[in-house]
Amino acid sequence: MTKPTGLVRLRSMRLVVEACVLLCLWGCAHAPFATLSSAAGVPTIDPRGSAAEWRAINRLSYGPTTKLLADIKSTGRPIDWAFQQLDAARLASLQPPLLPDDLASINHSLPAIFEGARKERELRAALPAGTMVNERLANQKRFDFQDQTDPLYYNRSQINKAVAWRLASCSDDALEQPLLARMTEFWFNHFNVYQLKGTVRPFAGHYAINVARANALGKFENLVLASAKHPAMLYYLDQWLSVSPQPERAGQSARGLNENYARELMELHTVGMDAGYTQEDVRELARVLTGWTVSPRSPSGFQFSARQHESGNKSVMGQKTPSSGLYIGEKEGEQAIRFLANHPATARRVSNRLAQYFVADEPPTALVDDMTKTFLNTGGDIYQVMAVMLNNAAFWDPNNRLYRTPYDFACAAMRTLNAGQDRVKWLQAFDYVNAAGQGIQNWQTPDGYSFNASTWLTPESLTRRIDFALNIGRNAQERRDLIPYLSSNTLQAVIKRTPNQKMGFMLGSPELVFK
Amino acid sequence: MLRSRREFLHQVAGLGAFAFAGNNVLASTPSNAGRFVLVFLRGAYDGLSMLVPYGDARYAQIRPNIAIPKPDGTSDSALMLDDTFGLHPACAALLPLWRQGVLAAIPCAGSPDKTRSHFDAQYHWETGKPGSSSPSSGWFNVLSGILQIGKGVHAIGVGESSPRILSGPEPVQLVGPGNLATRAGALAEPKTREAIMELYAGDEKLVNALFEGATNRASTAAMLKPTTASDSKEQQLANNGAGSPQGLALDAKHLGILMRQNRHLKIGFLSSGGWDTHINQGNVKGSLASNLTNLSNTLIQLRDAFNEPNDLIVVASEFGRTCAENGTKGTDHGHGNVMWLLGNSVQGGRWHGRWNGLSTDRLNDGRDLPVHHDFRGIFSQGLRRCLGVPQSKLAELFPGYVWDSTMDGLFKKG
Repeated sequence: MTKPTGLVRLRSMRLVVEACVLLCLWGCAHAPFATLSSAAGVPTIDPRGSAAEWRAINRLSYGPTTKLLADIKSTGRPIDWAFQQLDAARLASLQPPLLPDDLASINHSLPAIFEGARKERELRAALPAGTMVNERLANQKRFDFQDQTDPLYYNRSQINKAVAWRLASCSDDALEQPLLARMTEFWFNHFNVYQLKGTVRPFAGHYAINVARANALGKFENLVLASAKHPAMLYYLDQWLSVSPQPERAGQSARGLNENYARELMELHTVGMDAGYTQEDVRELARVLTGWTVSPRSPSGFQFSARQHESGNKSVMGQKTPSSGLYIGEKEGEQAIRFLANHPATARRVSNRLAQYFVADEPPTALVDDMTKTFLNTGGDIYQVMAVMLNNAAFWDPNNRLYRTPYDFACAAMRTLNAGQDRVKWLQAFDYVNAAGQGIQNWQTPDGYSFNASTWLTPESLTRRIDFALNIGRNAQERRDLIPYLSSNTLQAVIKRTPNQKMGFMLGSPELVFK
Repeated sequence: MLRSRREFLHQVAGLGAFAFAGNNVLASTPSNAGRFVLVFLRGAYDGLSMLVPYGDARYAQIRPNIAIPKPDGTSDSALMLDDTFGLHPACAALLPLWRQGVLAAIPCAGSPDKTRSHFDAQYHWETGKPGSSSPSSGWFNVLSGILQIGKGVHAIGVGESSPRILSGPEPVQLVGPGNLATRAGALAEPKTREAIMELYAGDEKLVNALFEGATNRASTAAMLKPTTASDSKEQQLANNGAGSPQGLALDAKHLGILMRQNRHLKIGFLSSGGWDTHINQGNVKGSLASNLTNLSNTLIQLRDAFNEPNDLIVVASEFGRTCAENGTKGTDHGHGNVMWLLGNSVQGGRWHGRWNGLSTDRLNDGRDLPVHHDFRGIFSQGLRRCLGVPQSKLAELFPGYVWDSTMDGLFKKG
């Protein structure tokens, strides 16, 4: 954990901020706003007691490991601990992840990943016709990757490793900063890709790490740009195939415009449906982005293909583009993305979604207002927006309940059992989230999973959650350090159970099914 | 819906012992009402590949790579329905139903709202309120309250964990995907149930959910108890994953069993994803064709389970796809789409409503099928015929909907 002194030093470092005199969003190539605020500032509220500790640990990490619980208790003020987590998460996001050796291939260079996929394709094409390729072989070893991966199952093993990393990183603080694991889930979901889509498969883990994790507490526009240029997203929403429909540009194959990515970029990643854009805007944005495609040989995995880009004038949400000779080609698309990423509608939408994830299904308007304002004043600095949220009484208000999603609950269970390194438990968690309808990186459509109670607190799924809690908690050592955080009703119910059921019941208690 | 602990324990404890022996009594409840099943294809299926407008020369022109060839008597072409439309050859299993006059299509149906967002459009379809994004119960949930056919739960969904259409204050039965549905779980054990009840005492939300969940899980598992040799086949199907068109067939089988055994269940919901075909959707063969084969098999299975005089199966999607293919041999988000009705009371073997062809000036925004027939009007016709829902209640279900009398011929007289 970062010590308070380190915290102060880190804050003052952030006082170095870029200044930008251009006021026009569209005409601005980089961070468009002057940010003169004093970083995250100092907390002005001071919620105390076991309720505040419990809230902080369950919302900023996935749940109370013995060590992290001791850490928050020894810090004194929960709000200080919360800010420490935020600083530590930001710092960690700038470093490579501590992947276990046998998961390292998900974070190999993009050309290496392209190559792995190419080899698998080649090997499979060379199989005699009618050969059955049994994907289940690779599945059986789902979380044991010690031996070398069979190149015939490269894509499948990449998926399994990516899922393993999400289970490892949410449950084991030695591998990942706990708040950063949460932020990674949030951003992956906001810029959702479906890892079972054929071409996406080998890239989903790399995407989680290098798009969601690496930009988790930086500028929002950088997050959008990173996702826009990553092969996982280029493949997932078909952008890589979208080329100029101008007849003179049509190449050998009669390809043309594909609106899929442009639409979701506006609807889901940035401004949202309510921002008042039209089908024509979607089409124009798709034109702006023509030529954005994958590159198997480039380290970024991305290339701008000028030959396939549609030149000429376009207009997106009233913004004429190219706005000048400085912003043509690839820059034209970057400019459009920065415009959308810094749009007031985006600021509100992203702030609201963060508040829904961390505070309440229907967060207080005043909180979202504050976060939105900070988003706009800081050029979309997510770190600053998070700090405003933590320093708001609404975050700490016990009336703002949140029900854990299945993934959240699976991570909480592993953490409460201090079982982050137990791969048998990963498998149990994996089976549970699949059965409960929240398979990891497995949501097919770009809207991502819902996080609210009306989706997840349903009768059927509650019974499955109890099954899982009782199974994974069977015979586990009792956590006596949790006692101060549990209600008397929960303690009474737990005390009556036989020793082999006590932890299962603790996991299934209202204190842990909610957070 | 607050329940006393005693009531809960009594009811749940009773389940294992005798509740299912009572099914026959429920099953014999006299009623000529049918059952209503909605199969919802998430992602916007390409209706123009299933109901092929080969009679319009423009169809082949604007779909150079993905059009289904006009009927030539072989399985590499559309199966002729009439001079205007053919059926995708992957749906050959449905042709007998068309000829028997129990399967009908409505080519230009949909939501009056112009959104091309999957998520908004699905929300509109599932709340029954096009254009409104305000929080709302699903219309199956509202309908469940309207039905009030004696006691019990009237609505059931198989597959999805929490589809919007079923969400709301009324209790509904949600059943897990694939073979998960057949497992009773830890709460089947009475002592464990009682202990969890104690753990949740004081939290009304958890208590109610637990009560409903334990009841449903137990009854579902008991009804679906594997009894035949086909179970291993079933598991294979399930392993392909629910939410996919393949998983749909197994979910449909479960829905049929559950609705047959519990005749209080009057409305059933199924869904599948995998229809958003932006690239390489194929034509006679390909990814869309195999989805359509799975859909046809599902419908055949549902037809076996729901063949009483007023039973009705409806197939729909949140919107249609562009009439022309896009630059990547697929189709983009459109507007109107083909809906299907299957049931003995359906005026089948024909299509209904307006069809003005594919010329640009007849299309929505020059690119999509128009919506000539509001989905609420079609559902209303179906609900009136199948479940006897009166007009006044339909207005409650679909606020602001206007009766579409051009659809009055959808059902046989009687």
